[in-house]
Amino acid sequence: MTKSYRFVDHTADIAAEISGSSLEELFTAGAQALIHSSVDEKQFEADDLLEIDLSASSREELLITFLNELNYLLITKKWLYLSIHSIKIFNDTDVYELSVELNGTELKKDIQLKQEIKSVTYHQVEIVEADGNYSTLVVFDI
Amino acid sequence: MNVGGIELVKVRENLWEIPATGQMKVPGRIYISQDMIEKGLKNDEALKQVVNVAHLPGIEKYSLAMPDIHWGYGFPIGGIAATNLDEGVISPGGVGYDINCGVRLATTNLEYERIKKRIDRLVSKLFNAVPTGVGASGAIKKLSTMDLKKVLTKGSVWAVENDLGTSSDIDFTEESGTLKKADVDVVSKRAIERGADQVGTLGSGNHFLEVDVVEEIYDAKVAEVFGLFNGQIVVQIHTGSRGLGYQVCDDYLKVLLQASNKYGFKLPDKQLACAPINSQEGQDYLAAMQAAANFAWNNRQVIMHLAKNVFKDTFSMTESELGFKLLYDVCHNIAKIEKHKIGKEEKEVCVHRKGATRAFPPGSKMIPAKYQGVGQPVLIPGDMGRYSFILVGTDKAMEETFGSSCHGAGRNLSRTKAMKHAKGRDLVGELKKKGISIQAKGYKTLAEEMSDAYKDVSDVVDVMHKEGITRKVAKIRPVGVIKG
Repeated sequence: MTKSYRFVDHTADIAAEISGSSLEELFTAGAQALIHSSVDEKQFEADDLLEIDLSASSREELLITFLNELNYLLITKKWLYLSIHSIKIFNDTDVYELSVELNGTELKKDIQLKQEIKSVTYHQVEIVEADGNYSTLVVFDI
Repeated sequence: MNVGGIELVKVRENLWEIPATGQMKVPGRIYISQDMIEKGLKNDEALKQVVNVAHLPGIEKYSLAMPDIHWGYGFPIGGIAATNLDEGVISPGGVGYDINCGVRLATTNLEYERIKKRIDRLVSKLFNAVPTGVGASGAIKKLSTMDLKKVLTKGSVWAVENDLGTSSDIDFTEESGTLKKADVDVVSKRAIERGADQVGTLGSGNHFLEVDVVEEIYDAKVAEVFGLFNGQIVVQIHTGSRGLGYQVCDDYLKVLLQASNKYGFKLPDKQLACAPINSQEGQDYLAAMQAAANFAWNNRQVIMHLAKNVFKDTFSMTESELGFKLLYDVCHNIAKIEKHKIGKEEKEVCVHRKGATRAFPPGSKMIPAKYQGVGQPVLIPGDMGRYSFILVGTDKAMEETFGSSCHGAGRNLSRTKAMKHAKGRDLVGELKKKGISIQAKGYKTLAEEMSDAYKDVSDVVDVMHKEGITRKVAKIRPVGVIKG
């Protein structure tokens, strides 16, 4: 398994280098980085499944849209993503689409978040492919 | 001087120019001391962002930056740009995610020396009354969609209509607390959902409510007009549009990225996504941004009302005995259509202030009548362990910076480094020794927000003062702080 994330120092916000041997693994790494920034995910167990479909005009925009969706689910819908059940990314000409099933849990009471991510930014997001590996930086505005 | 490959030409002691080269439509101009360049700017990409902003279609005069410059998303923090309405663009990158993040300051009749023994109790009661922290929900009940839409249209006026303020509060808020071209129909359902239970919440991070004491008066005449005196207790509130604003920014970044392609703009940074101001996309963003700005003003109004009630209760005083009055409320993340002199003519432009504060001069009809003799109050918060400043706007600001000034200090250390610096330290005890009583949601917030993590705001304010952009009126220092 080669998906991973690593936080890098950032003066004002949270930055993570994410990578994976496929786009799906890259997106999963981004999701893990986002959730780890927000909660102590080891405290929770998944008991729910949620399916979402998203589309965007580039891979980068799809990634940001996906991560912002997870943030919205947590902050507003009080539904915590914990892991990916299945994920598929495909593109047709100018449109990139994502179909994902998320393992997670509905938060029955308010939890103490590490911080509130305002949004996932476009700053320096550029998915680079090299030697069978996909990687990019993602920055979460807090 | 060359900084990170960018040429800086000295114009004055604290004013530097980046000559227009390549695709830059105007030069860049940065107000900053040489010392601050040496200490901070060399390791920061902010100058590159000043250059990038100069690429925006329709930009007038200069891509500007204030001395609290550091890198942001699209525009640098401390960035200002005005675009004309004919061919100019509007960009969410020039406003920020926290639309109408801003500051308000209220004065009181209280003297610190007389009440200092009750500060701990006051802070504790404020902490209980004002919702703080990540994802905090409001002290007022969750609003229905219909009521929330009224907030987005009316701003602070909604609060006053619901007995959460007075008409005087409206008079002393920038834009009277309402931008009138707000349109709820262009605010997404998701943004409204995010904002519904966050009315009257402080949030987290660098947002705060502070009880301060006026420590030094620099301009006695202006201080008198502002109602300030030495040893006076004042209250500062720093917060913005919360989740609603963040969502509006996110929604419109997507729309304007598409629009940038549609209108054929070649931008050096995706976060500078933009559309012509007079396009449908541009007008929709302007209207949605105004709605989010109104939410923020209403938010600060409600929090101030909650704070006033705590003061009345803690000191067992009537409203007139307490004398709790709004000095002014300013926004420091906004884009507004304003009239400014460009060359020999006055024309309407869209002024983006991203971590920058409006600073209008004496005689301006856009400020309360009470201040027209001296100029607009400009509120500049520092970190929680040192001081903040009250400044006043000048004619020079109108001439040089589209009537704008700095907004704060800016971070020095990342949150990770700040946590390391804080390890093993009794931060509450350290603040207590300085005479500051603090309550925060957690040690993590204290560590991330401690003074070591921030630049010295007095350096920033001094540059603005020396350049005549804004003048110092008073320094205030914290004695009580609540943070999320």
